[in-house]
Amino acid sequence: MLKVYINTETVTVNDKPLVHKEKGAALLTELYRNHIGDYPKFFKMDTLSKLGFVASELLLQAEGKPRFEPREDRAVIFFNKSASLQADTAYQATIQDAENFFPSPAAFVYTLPNIVTGEIAIRNKYFGETSFIVLPDRDPQIMARQLQNAFLDPTTNSILGGWLDCTDENHFEAEIYLLNKS
Amino acid sequence: MDELIYTLKQQIIEALNLEDMKPEDIDENASLFGEGLGLDSIDALELIVLMEKNYGIKLKDPSQGKEIFKSVAVMADYISKNRTK
Repeated sequence: MLKVYINTETVTVNDKPLVHKEKGAALLTELYRNHIGDYPKFFKMDTLSKLGFVASELLLQAEGKPRFEPREDRAVIFFNKSASLQADTAYQATIQDAENFFPSPAAFVYTLPNIVTGEIAIRNKYFGETSFIVLPDRDPQIMARQLQNAFLDPTTNSILGGWLDCTDENHFEAEIYLLNKS
Repeated sequence: MDELIYTLKQQIIEALNLEDMKPEDIDENASLFGEGLGLDSIDALELIVLMEKNYGIKLKDPSQGKEIFKSVAVMADYISKNRTK
């Protein structure tokens, strides 16, 4: 099973450490610049979406198959416990002060955790299921059951999914993998 | 006008997170959308907020943006004529 792990200080691809210098939000930008670099929309994303985007790119590069070919059989399913807290906080800051009340549309569009599933589906031309499930805490049994259930439909043969949590720019964790029906 | 154009470019870069871009990289006569800077609809909304926040200009009809946001030069001209701060 292909797997990518990223937290604020560590990056591994299939359990092999990936060399990097930065930490926190700067780490995600470093990974983008060194391993991706052709998607300027990255800079407009909230931290949760940056995390999911970078992790999915590393995962799909490790998969080594042709990219960007439209497909319906791959679902994108993530879990976390903090929903879109960092984006919610960033948006709240734009409306907190009645004297300086300028709601930011760019911040608002990320105030749902499932936006990251859309970012990844759009980037990769995935037309299958996308879900983002918010749990009280990380629960491997619930996650495994949900992922198994996703294979019950006649379309889904593959899932890009896993844990994707972010509370702010310096506290995040991704552990995502590719699962196949067989 | 040149100073306003330069300031506006800086504000656009900051508001729209145009990473790695400097004011000098933006042609003030180039289209902001489509072929030019390649901005999208959310960016257009963010430009409306920028105009209100920095220049006190409230667009009553969002469709006005199509004309006003043609280029940085057009935007600066509109701001210079309508700004309240």
